Amino acid sequence: MNEVRKTYKMYVGNSFIRSESGRTYSIELSSEIIELPQASRKDVRDAVSQAKKGYESWSSLTPYNRAQILYRLSEMIEGRKASYIELLKESGIKNNKAKKDIDEAIEILIWYAGITDKWEQLSGNLNPVAGSYLNISHQEPLGVSFIFPRDTISLKSLLLCILPPLSVGCSVISLSKNAGVLAIMLAEDLNNSDLPAGTWNILTGSYSNIIEDISKHVEIKGIGVNMDFDNKDYTIIQSNASESVKRTFSMNETLNLLSLNPFLQTKTVWHPKGK
Amino acid sequence: MVEKWSYSESIESSEIVNLEKKYGHFINGSFVSPKSKKYFDTISPSTEELLSKVSFGGKEDVDSAVASAKEGFKTWTKVKPVDRSKYLFKIARLIQERSREFAVLESMDGGKPIRESRDVDIPQVSANFFYFAGWADKLELSWSNSKFKPYGVAGQIIPWNFPLLMLAWKVAPALATGNVVVLKPAETTPLTALMFAQICAEAGLPDGVFNLVTGNGETGSYIVNHKDVDKIAFTGSTVVGKQIQASLAGTGKGLTLELGGKAANIVYEDASIDQAVEGVVNGIFFNQGHVCCAGSRLLIQESIQDQFIEKLERRMQQLRVGNPLDKNTDIGAINSKQQLEKITELVESGVNDGGSIYQTECDFPGNGFWFKPTLFTNVQPAYRIAREEIFGPVLTTITFRTPEEAIEIANNTEYGLSAGIWSEKGSKILWTADRLDAGVIWSNTFNKFDPSSPFGGYKESGFGREGGRHGLLSYLKEDK
Amino acid sequence: MVHDTQTSEKIMLSWSDTTELMNLSSVDETGLKERVASLATRSIKKDSKLQALNMIVSMCDLTTLEGQDTDGKIAQMAAKAISPDPNDSSVPSVAAVCVYPGLVKTAKEAVSKSNVLVASVSSYFPSGQAPLELKIHDTKYAINNGADEIDIVINRKAFLEGDYKKVFDEIYAIKEVCGDVHLKTILEVGELGSYDNVRRASLIAMSAGSDFIKTSTGKISEGASREACCVMAKAVLDYRKVTGSIVGIKVAGGIRDAKDAIRYLVLIKEEIGEDWLDLKYFRFGASSLLNDVLRQIKKLKTGAYQDSYYFPRG
Repeated sequence: MNEVRKTYKMYVGNSFIRSESGRTYSIELSSEIIELPQASRKDVRDAVSQAKKGYESWSSLTPYNRAQILYRLSEMIEGRKASYIELLKESGIKNNKAKKDIDEAIEILIWYAGITDKWEQLSGNLNPVAGSYLNISHQEPLGVSFIFPRDTISLKSLLLCILPPLSVGCSVISLSKNAGVLAIMLAEDLNNSDLPAGTWNILTGSYSNIIEDISKHVEIKGIGVNMDFDNKDYTIIQSNASESVKRTFSMNETLNLLSLNPFLQTKTVWHPKGK
Repeated sequence: MVEKWSYSESIESSEIVNLEKKYGHFINGSFVSPKSKKYFDTISPSTEELLSKVSFGGKEDVDSAVASAKEGFKTWTKVKPVDRSKYLFKIARLIQERSREFAVLESMDGGKPIRESRDVDIPQVSANFFYFAGWADKLELSWSNSKFKPYGVAGQIIPWNFPLLMLAWKVAPALATGNVVVLKPAETTPLTALMFAQICAEAGLPDGVFNLVTGNGETGSYIVNHKDVDKIAFTGSTVVGKQIQASLAGTGKGLTLELGGKAANIVYEDASIDQAVEGVVNGIFFNQGHVCCAGSRLLIQESIQDQFIEKLERRMQQLRVGNPLDKNTDIGAINSKQQLEKITELVESGVNDGGSIYQTECDFPGNGFWFKPTLFTNVQPAYRIAREEIFGPVLTTITFRTPEEAIEIANNTEYGLSAGIWSEKGSKILWTADRLDAGVIWSNTFNKFDPSSPFGGYKESGFGREGGRHGLLSYLKEDK
Repeated sequence: MVHDTQTSEKIMLSWSDTTELMNLSSVDETGLKERVASLATRSIKKDSKLQALNMIVSMCDLTTLEGQDTDGKIAQMAAKAISPDPNDSSVPSVAAVCVYPGLVKTAKEAVSKSNVLVASVSSYFPSGQAPLELKIHDTKYAINNGADEIDIVINRKAFLEGDYKKVFDEIYAIKEVCGDVHLKTILEVGELGSYDNVRRASLIAMSAGSDFIKTSTGKISEGASREACCVMAKAVLDYRKVTGSIVGIKVAGGIRDAKDAIRYLVLIKEEIGEDWLDLKYFRFGASSLLNDVLRQIKKLKTGAYQDSYYFPRG
């Protein structure tokens, strides 16, 4: 067995970084053992600071521009398809299943890229109030979101958890443990893409030491947990979140309009009509 | 006019364009010689030189194109929606890569300034393909729990004022929704459409999905009346639109029409005057006034009339008329001799009717079709220049005293495509917008287009919308 | 040497006329930005570019307003002002040098053998946070030392508190002190908050007797912008319509390169006309701008870009 340990890095802002704590954990692939950083509380705080900047940049682009960037990302992943499939196989996924996962992931990315400049037409609307007013409800992204994707080695699952907040203009910090190696491979494509620095930040490791910081950090506006997330831990998150009235939700990885909703807040504007 | 500081020529080179001596029709994935055995010339309206010869679409050519489309529909129906997306994204990308070439060619063939084709037309073209690509795989979202299907073969006839952009407005939604296309570009502007056909081939679009037949009104009528065409989309004059609508009576074919306009640009006394002047100028002189939604009637509140007109005339004098390929040109050539004659005749009628005319001083190049930016004041609503669509750089001014009067004058036309409202009072803008019979209303701006923003008219300006969620309905029907 | 100063048939308006003028002070920001962006697409090349570059040099107020300014520094700058490119005598002198009051005397001596004017800032530049008597004292000092032109700042404190009359009165009082000395009034557009306010401030400054209105002190991060310049230009045009008098415009703060400077000239030419394309009515507050303009001139004439060490320090 190959004893060489290769260290991968997390992706925060537009830099690849080790954990400031220096701690790591290992993942065993079929041909090698790799070490991933264990995210610390300070790493979380730094990531939030980067994600704030990322949110400013990302949300100020036009929807058309965001669509183009995400579509381009799908082209980049398509270009590296073989490498992704290889990684999945190294993680124990059978060839056919791996190929299917990557193909579907790309189609999902294309779907979300195309919804970026359309969702507002579907979710926003004029309200027919009784009175001489123009009344419009439209939705704005929450801001910085923290996502716990499922820890399965599946690009499709990862994207289904991350793309909803991303495509509506939020910035994202995600934390993966076993799936960390897949997330970091994706980070290489993110880094080469036109996604502004801090739009999607990728942390790795287990969450037990940082769950308090995440759930209490006032600048994280929403926390999404995956459908397999431990119920006791979700309760802790929800309880801490209440201190700042932070939104929390469970993501069910469905490709639909409703998947965007948890990451949006509705603004209704009234304007009188009259000479 | 002697200037202290004049701008040197800054010509965009036309070397980037590779023109063939002649072009065939694009049918079933490749270029084919016309069954009609006839060709016709396409010239540059700014120099009158011959650019190329294009095929004439006779009845047999149209039959061939429609047959190819029918077969193409069978193929296209089997293509996964997400793959339709990918073809359209690819087309968008290829257009972007060759955007300079497209822009130069558009200006050469049609006469519009390179600055406009480069900064407005071509970017909007790729944006449209990009936007509609993203609808292909999520049509079921667009109208809640409705079940849809495409019409099948869409016959599309487009005008000469925004040749490639009008093509994009038609082709992108049609293909995204699963339809196939037989398109006829305008007689005087076929070249960018032909270049677009090359792009489709390069993108690997399956044979028969996009077909192009060049020709004139006769060609168009063959398409309209063909029994295997399921839906017609037409942008052009109201006169022809009405003929098409009549021809389709009883056939069960889908129809959307985008016709003429005589838009009112209403300037209230509480407008931001300098920006309103800019907007009014943009509204009528952009694209030489060859715009169906042009703000061709200035409705000015009497209390600010003098001040406004003075500023307007001063601003008009800054418009640079000349070689479309000069990057500093604001107003290019009139698209054809025919159109120039029409404009000239209407302007003469305005003078004869008693209107006061102001025209800017400009020097025209020797050849080509040119018209000076023109402003009429002291116009009565009954004059022809106040009622008929001129489709040229001619602005007609009418005064009003109260908001109600403005509404009345604005709506006093068979057209209803667009309107403009200038005021710093939001409530008044909204009150006015509620009462205008127009499909597109611009407040404190004008001539703004976006693929996500539905465009289309009220009354005799047509029906059906292009762009946005509403625009999808032009190409989908209920699947019962 | 007799300097060609401004003739001062300045028309001042009464406060009530001024307030009436200010009624039409709304500016639509979106429309304004679009117009400015559209003007920036003008392609200025070849002869028209060379002509523009020479105009820009002649319109520069070469400026140094630093705590570390010394007599020596002023002397060097003055030499550059008189002869911007010693290797090319066809490049004109700049319009003026602009310094703090304490260096006016030195500057005046240094430019004495030329047509270059001496402008001095005053009125407690850049903040203007001092009582009127002190601002007047500041101004008189500069004039007594020989300043040809005075650049003052408006009282932003009063403006943002809504006391427009106070803003007006102060400028009026300082113009009285200036007499024939040419007065430029700095609006500090970066602090005014809106284009409506830029227009309002322009109208107040002109009505109170300013010969020029100027965008910025160059001492805050937000300096001149073409949008602010456009609003000021329209105000200047409207003021001429009402009174017959031509007020000039100076743009300062953040104009780093020739390309941007040329865009200002295009804007002025097309928005208000060629009457303003003259150093009598248009100025650039410049420090690093001048070298870029000289580089561009050299490139047009020789076909090659020069490094900055070819041009003497100023």
